[in-house]
Amino acid sequence: MIINSFNLILSIIIATCLVILQETMSNIFWLISVDMPVSIGIFISTYVSNLFAMNLSGAVPLIALIAIGFLIAYLVTRIILVWVNISRTYAYAFAGATAILAIVLLMPLAFYNLDILAGGRSIFGKFVLTSFGLLSGYYFGKTLDRQRAS
Amino acid sequence: MIRKILYSLISILFSFSVYTEQQEYEYEVIADNLSHPWGIAVIDNDNILFTELSGQLRVIEDGVLNPEPIKGVPEVLFAGQGGLSGIILDPNFDSNNKIYISFSSPDEGRKTNTLEVISSTLTSKSLEDVKTIFKASPSRKTAAHYGARMAFLDDGTLLITSGDGFNYREEAQYLDNHYGKIIRINTDGSVPADNPFVSIDQAKPEIWSYGHRNLQGISVVNGVVYENEHGPMGGDELNIAEPSKNYGWPAITYGKDYSGATISPFTEKEGMEQPIKYWVPSIAPSGMTYYEGNKFPEWTNSLFISALVPGDVRRLEILGSKITKEEILFSDLGRIRDIATSPDGSLILATDGPKGKLVRVTNK
Repeated sequence: MIINSFNLILSIIIATCLVILQETMSNIFWLISVDMPVSIGIFISTYVSNLFAMNLSGAVPLIALIAIGFLIAYLVTRIILVWVNISRTYAYAFAGATAILAIVLLMPLAFYNLDILAGGRSIFGKFVLTSFGLLSGYYFGKTLDRQRAS
Repeated sequence: MIRKILYSLISILFSFSVYTEQQEYEYEVIADNLSHPWGIAVIDNDNILFTELSGQLRVIEDGVLNPEPIKGVPEVLFAGQGGLSGIILDPNFDSNNKIYISFSSPDEGRKTNTLEVISSTLTSKSLEDVKTIFKASPSRKTAAHYGARMAFLDDGTLLITSGDGFNYREEAQYLDNHYGKIIRINTDGSVPADNPFVSIDQAKPEIWSYGHRNLQGISVVNGVVYENEHGPMGGDELNIAEPSKNYGWPAITYGKDYSGATISPFTEKEGMEQPIKYWVPSIAPSGMTYYEGNKFPEWTNSLFISALVPGDVRRLEILGSKITKEEILFSDLGRIRDIATSPDGSLILATDGPKGKLVRVTNK
């Protein structure tokens, strides 16, 4: 139980860090495209700053949003796995991807159809964010499988 | 005992300052229960036109609100920040009765919309000869950041503020679109031959300046163009706008994104203009008027900017390109959407919201 909780929290943290990485990269890459003097140092300091700011001073704490999304998605997956015999790892990976995609698609409904996660405005951005959700869910499912195996 | 004396002294000082402020001016509600009043155009002291974001053009006639909206207003998209927005009288309004109105207009199918400006002739109860003189391109899917304020330059050309559409912020840096720009056109909709980008291929010829976000106030004072614009979370700006200049959004900004993310770690770059003032945290500046009246002599030659957050008016004294004084006024009225000066020197304020008011500020 404790290990599961730890893995759940870790998968939420992984997803949060990756989503913030994507947000940072989408802004920084555009700045580079318009010849702003972006260095590695600026990129790292912006990412670290975003890690704090997007969880502490944004309109909505990102980690809380992702936690709610993952909790719902994982709970639904857990129930489905009772009746359906599919790979636990892939089921949770799918759940993670769905949770992030839902956040990206539903957030604008609460904000006048505006994309608060700027990195998710494009289809490519949505794809990357969803992939990060998939990775985080995969991690969670894989660790559950390992625990069962041991 | 000492604490009591201190409290008493503080109370006396505080009540005196409030009393002093109240002695200087008083409010007169001209009209209330208005549906999101947005833009004001003062014809004379007792006749005022104003827009309601929900789509009505209203008029105060001889000091009294006409209950019937003026007819002939085009269909608007009343959603998010969109609706019937800016209004301005023609410089020769006394002789031609022409007015200009900006609004968010839905495209066919209503999936997209854009900022549109019309010219029309005002008759007693309706708009006649309605003609579209500007339509921002390309259209947007969002209902936010239209800009939609207008001002006349001394040469009779019309400046229109066009916001970045929120989701399209990067477009403010490119000249092939109208997002995040100040537009300059003739009143018949044609493009002045001396616009700064008319000779550049791919550039929209109407563009006068670029790199703006959501410009909510603009005034021309002795040939100088002042504009204020909303930053994201922090970074609201007051700029002196000039043709061909790049005001930097979103490559440079003093604000953060609503998610908390850094939009840009840069606040300045060569070739990009600095604001003459910026506000962190945001005040959400809205309308703007330059006060040249004499009803309040101590305010003469001040720039007044109404603000939505937390809701007040900023009086700025400007020397060249420097702000020498900022005073907060009228902070007891809530969110203020627009401000205008009446010929008698009183100020007209529009409070924001579904039960907005038009308030006259006059001396006692």
